[in-house]
Amino acid sequence: MENAVKISVKNLNLYYGDLQALKEVNIEISENSVTALIGPSGCGKSTFLKTLNRMNDLIPNTKITGEVLLDGNDIYAGDCDVIELRKNIGMVFQKPNPFPMSVFDNVAYGPRVHGERNKRALQETVERSLKAAALWDEVKDRLSKPALGLSGGQQQRLCIARVLAVQPEVVLMDEPTSSLDPISTGKIEDLMDELKKKYTIIIVTHNMQQAARISERTAFFLLGDLIEEGDTIDIFKTPRDKRTEDYITGRFG
Amino acid sequence: MKPGRTFAAIISIALVAGLMAGCGGTTPNGSQSETGKITVVGSTSVGPYMDELSKLFMGKNPGISINVEQVGSGQGIAATKDGSADIGMSSRELKDEEKPLNEYKLCLDGIAIVVHPDNPVSNLTKEQVKKIYLGEITNWKDVGGNDAPINLYTREASSGTRGAFEELVLGKDAAGKQITIDETICAAVLNSTGNLGASVGNDKNAIGYMSLGIVPEYIVKAIKFNGVDATPENVKNKTYALQRPFLLLTKNEPTGIVKDFLDFCLSSDEAKAYLESQKLIIE
Amino acid sequence: MKQGTARWRMNDKVIRSLLFVCAAISVVAVLLITVMIFVEAFPALKETGVWDFIAGTKWKPTDTPPQFGILPMIVGSVYVTGLALLFGLPIGMATSIFMAEIAPPKVAVVLRRAIEILAGIPSVVYGFFGLMMVVPIVQTLGGTGMSVLTASIILAVMILPTIVSVSEAALRAVPAEYKEGSLALGASHWQTIVRVQVPAAKSGILAATVLGIGRAVGETMAVILVAGNIPVIPESILKAVRTMTVNIVLEMGYVQPGSLHYSALFATGAVLFVFIMLLNFSIRALTKTRGEKQKNAKKH
Repeated sequence: MENAVKISVKNLNLYYGDLQALKEVNIEISENSVTALIGPSGCGKSTFLKTLNRMNDLIPNTKITGEVLLDGNDIYAGDCDVIELRKNIGMVFQKPNPFPMSVFDNVAYGPRVHGERNKRALQETVERSLKAAALWDEVKDRLSKPALGLSGGQQQRLCIARVLAVQPEVVLMDEPTSSLDPISTGKIEDLMDELKKKYTIIIVTHNMQQAARISERTAFFLLGDLIEEGDTIDIFKTPRDKRTEDYITGRFG
Repeated sequence: MKPGRTFAAIISIALVAGLMAGCGGTTPNGSQSETGKITVVGSTSVGPYMDELSKLFMGKNPGISINVEQVGSGQGIAATKDGSADIGMSSRELKDEEKPLNEYKLCLDGIAIVVHPDNPVSNLTKEQVKKIYLGEITNWKDVGGNDAPINLYTREASSGTRGAFEELVLGKDAAGKQITIDETICAAVLNSTGNLGASVGNDKNAIGYMSLGIVPEYIVKAIKFNGVDATPENVKNKTYALQRPFLLLTKNEPTGIVKDFLDFCLSSDEAKAYLESQKLIIE
Repeated sequence: MKQGTARWRMNDKVIRSLLFVCAAISVVAVLLITVMIFVEAFPALKETGVWDFIAGTKWKPTDTPPQFGILPMIVGSVYVTGLALLFGLPIGMATSIFMAEIAPPKVAVVLRRAIEILAGIPSVVYGFFGLMMVVPIVQTLGGTGMSVLTASIILAVMILPTIVSVSEAALRAVPAEYKEGSLALGASHWQTIVRVQVPAAKSGILAATVLGIGRAVGETMAVILVAGNIPVIPESILKAVRTMTVNIVLEMGYVQPGSLHYSALFATGAVLFVFIMLLNFSIRALTKTRGEKQKNAKKH
């Protein structure tokens, strides 16, 4: 597994006002892999995820030091185009959040916003994305119906399709299955296996079994510190740090 | 329905009906004591003066409160007739169908024909004014002014000032019926003297009519009528033909505080002095 | 212990009955007013015929025989309200978007106070301001300045607070997840506002519009000072106009109770009533179909 480094995080610190939420985080994410971020509630894993597509910019009073390099370029540099960045690094949220529009319009939203007007091109993109999200068969006859009429699992896959429609290189997922039933969860986990062939995936999860199932690398966060990070098998079988071991064996969190 | 509900429903209907019935009632016409309330309703031309007179009266009689509502002569007459007003104000003579009511002449007032101060026209004959308001003359140049359309401003139909104007200027038609202003040819219909004055002051090509006493308060020019200046003196000596009485009206013979107030307005030196200071004519 | 519960049950019944009475009073009052309007309107409508009343263009109540056609007034109300919305809705929407999404919190608060003050200004003050300030300005465009345009401008300002406050509330109620989702896809803030947040707030904005229309159609004092009030269908927005409400007020003092003219004014009121009912129903119907579509689409 000697893939190129897609994202390189160096000495990342994040402050919400006076509160330091991330402390000296250093990690490298490889291309076309699935990296799981685990840790107890409030440990900073979601915050860390949001630094990768600069969604933290929306929260007032945040300060960041350090570097986040995407293909070698610091995304926090002054000349970085945030809009382009978020096109390249997509995000799927914990609770499915399809727009109150039709299925088609949801998936076509990204391309349209980036300037695509051609009807044909949009139709092809929508079909391609829905197929990639393993949702096409279920919705192909109801593309113009409201997206909010879909089940929870379908909505989440729709959100994934929506992200894929803008052809990102990286997909961030913030506990994407925590509000879904086991069957939908299973479907999405299968999906991730397919997706990693084309995309780099970073997934925050509360569910350690899920992390163990789907990821190649795992990173354990605790109170804003990246405690340990490595191949998933190693983290789960032979954790180096006692805190990691305690968390994995369920002694806390 | 449960018995409680039926009971409640009956109560509510009774309450509302009672409220509505109460609304049509009459107010007592004065009392023997020195306190009470007097409602005065009617003309927007007479109103401002009655407002001032009532303040003077209330100053001497602190227990009495007088409410002056300026809503137009027509409404004042109607309110007096149905009893909802103690005293009515009219700026024109009563029509036959509006009698009988007790009429008390407060004073005389002239009706000024007003135009914008920049309008070069300063005299119109009765014929000219009539033709203008009938839409037969439509350009100022036909009466010696600029080449511009004449914009007619009028009061609303129930205005006493309008009624007097129609009577004095437009006259009756061949069948003996009063000619009225056709609102559809006017530039605007205003619902009070003040609004008409302000509107005419805004429009260089306007013509309107308003109570003579009020003219100084507005940026308008009162023109001569049939060559006679619109002044209180000329109203008094009858050379200025456009004049009408300000009438105070009551339904029944006035008693108690209403009588006191009427006496004050009609006979007291203070009231007379005030009215004359406002360029109104006492006869 | 038993006595306590019995008393509670009694109090409960009494309070319920009291509340029922209060609610019933409102309903009964509305019903009585409605009935009264239509009963008083009946003689004029019967004499003229409902169609001739609504479609007739001549309003000459003092002629013999009198003519009661209120089409010019209906058209007047529609013109003036429509134009007021044309001006007021975009400005109101822009203001509410600015306050909800763009302005820093302190600025938004100042704006909100200003709008509240605007809402509290009495109609007659608006009318006077219109007469003194707006009429001369409109005059420079031609005509006397007392026109459809002037009335619409004043009304637009009057309905602004309603539109802004209801729209702003609707925008703030849009779930933050939509905004997040849109931004995460690389949309700009403005794109998010226009493509996601405003459409999501549609029903609230519609409600704001209905309220605005209601206020504009019913407004009398401000309109009477600036609209000219002549009973003809205006040929352009620079010509004078009379709305249904103004028609009632201007002629009110002139009529004898019980006369046909009196009944004709009530008939004007009845038409106004129906007009507003129709407006409310149609807008409710529009929003309902959309809401029901969403509901029916859910399958589990």
